[in-house]
Amino acid sequence: MTDPHFATVHRHTSSSRIAIGCGLLLVLAIPSMPFWASSGHIRWAVELGCFIAIAQMWNLLAGYGGMVSVGQQAFIGLGGYALFVLVTLFGVDPFLAVPLSVILPALVAAPAYMLLRRLDGPYFAIGTWVLAEVLRLITSNIGAVNAGSGMTLKAMAKYSAHQREIGLTLLVALLLLLTVGGTYLLLRSRLGLALTAMRDDAVAASSQGVNVGRMRFSVYLLAAVGTGLAGAIYFMAQLRISPTSGFDPNWSSICIFIVMVGGIGRLEGPIIGALLYFFATRLFGQYGSAYLVVLGLLTLVVAIRAPTGLWGLMTRLRPWPWFPTGYILTKG
Amino acid sequence: MRWVDAIIQGTLLGGLYAQYAIGMSLMFGVMRIVNIAHGDLVVLLALIGISLAAVFGLGPGFLVLLLVPIGALVGWALQRFILNRLVGDDPLPSLIATFGISIALQNAMLAIWSADTRSLDAGALASKSFQIGEMYIGLLPILVFVTAVILTAGLSMVLKGTKFGRALRAAAADRDAATLSGIDTKSIYAKATAVAVGILGIAAVFQATRTTIAPADGGGQLIYAFEAVIIGGMGSIWGAFLGAMVLGIAQVIGSRIDPGWGVLAGHLVFLVVLAWRPQGIMSRK
Repeated sequence: MTDPHFATVHRHTSSSRIAIGCGLLLVLAIPSMPFWASSGHIRWAVELGCFIAIAQMWNLLAGYGGMVSVGQQAFIGLGGYALFVLVTLFGVDPFLAVPLSVILPALVAAPAYMLLRRLDGPYFAIGTWVLAEVLRLITSNIGAVNAGSGMTLKAMAKYSAHQREIGLTLLVALLLLLTVGGTYLLLRSRLGLALTAMRDDAVAASSQGVNVGRMRFSVYLLAAVGTGLAGAIYFMAQLRISPTSGFDPNWSSICIFIVMVGGIGRLEGPIIGALLYFFATRLFGQYGSAYLVVLGLLTLVVAIRAPTGLWGLMTRLRPWPWFPTGYILTKG
Repeated sequence: MRWVDAIIQGTLLGGLYAQYAIGMSLMFGVMRIVNIAHGDLVVLLALIGISLAAVFGLGPGFLVLLLVPIGALVGWALQRFILNRLVGDDPLPSLIATFGISIALQNAMLAIWSADTRSLDAGALASKSFQIGEMYIGLLPILVFVTAVILTAGLSMVLKGTKFGRALRAAAADRDAATLSGIDTKSIYAKATAVAVGILGIAAVFQATRTTIAPADGGGQLIYAFEAVIIGGMGSIWGAFLGAMVLGIAQVIGSRIDPGWGVLAGHLVFLVVLAWRPQGIMSRK
């Protein structure tokens, strides 16, 4: 018989309590920004929030689901276009249309997964890119959405700049709660255990009774919905969308850079990576292609030398998790 | 007659795609790696060729003689110093690494050659054509197609009949067993990638003479190679060749229906094959 007082199980650490507390405060502070921050800073917060959300969804897909995608721009564009179509062609209120915009990415993701899952390993990745290209080309040929020239969100004019900022910051806070908070809660649940097992070894997980196929389908769908929501919010802030901006392959470069450099397969990684990418682009973006050459080479070096990314290196120095998903056993 | 012409033109266009596709099929068949920078390497070799032609006044034939060894060397180094560290069951590391290379390469080419589209002057070869009935068929596209047939047949024979080919097939079937039988798999992998990228040296010259090339074009070439491989059937060299023909025909017929639908028609044929016959049209399974 084991002594019930022999050990206690913790899920949180001091570091996680501080990190989650600060994180929640920061997210809740975003909607207050229109009352004290400049429009420029609000635009920064919206963009950074969208980057974190999109990267976290890519991390869920590649880091936990084992599905490397170079075509998440498919769902960014679909989310954005769903918003613009609902508002412009169907007269739905823009802020109401944002949550509705995730339906289209989900509707496309389900059959797309059924086709793409037939592709072996690395071919899956290129398949996701073809899907994004197909959507870009189809959109460029549909007259109702202005084909290649794209659409403008004129309906936003009925709101004042201040009202728009309040709406956008509320949506970004919600986006972060859903994508980062939602993934955290998901990973701490029973399903999370299955996902973590899949991340470490899909074959072993399947032998332990994890239905890997169904889990992958759910992860692909969830990632499409989260990415679509971020796309709708991002392009609402831009007020314009075109096939080349919505379905831009550069979105995949951003996802991959943020998650790989930040640390794949950990929730903290995409947040660190997004902060790094966001501020590095503000500082060095002016150097244009030279900056992107460095980003590309950095991704290459991380893939070879430090596959766990910055978060992995930090954990080796100080194991202070922000979002612990496991169980910690302590004596006494 | 219009459609017969479209099929012929499509087949000839497929000759170019086949030259990208057989190398990709070889690399995937042997190492289960997909090099995302595959298309960017075509562009790189083509741009090097265009610059060499401009500086030294070389013709396309000489360029092929120069670009094939350059390509082979690049491929060998890529495998030897980067990809050999990442070969394994997990596709993620090699995908991410080659994705990083692709981004770096595209932007480096943009910095060196600017975003302009360029092409290679093939002289009289470019304008020569045969008349068959009412149709005109260019000599250059025929040359591209014949080269693709020779390359595919050659690669297929090397795989079947030589010691190198046997070692390749052994390494593809079971890496550990091949190592146990005394095959240096890492060196075999480096040679396979050298062959795959060396072929791109020929493809690059044809690409630059037939159409134009710009630093951002690599992604498109990668996708065409990939679609050809999947349409034909993964892991088969002749499958990749046939897939390239199907893709070329689909694109030409699509663009005859509506100029905006050419590339899209190719993608749609790819999706249909994936839904209807995911093992590829050449597979016996």
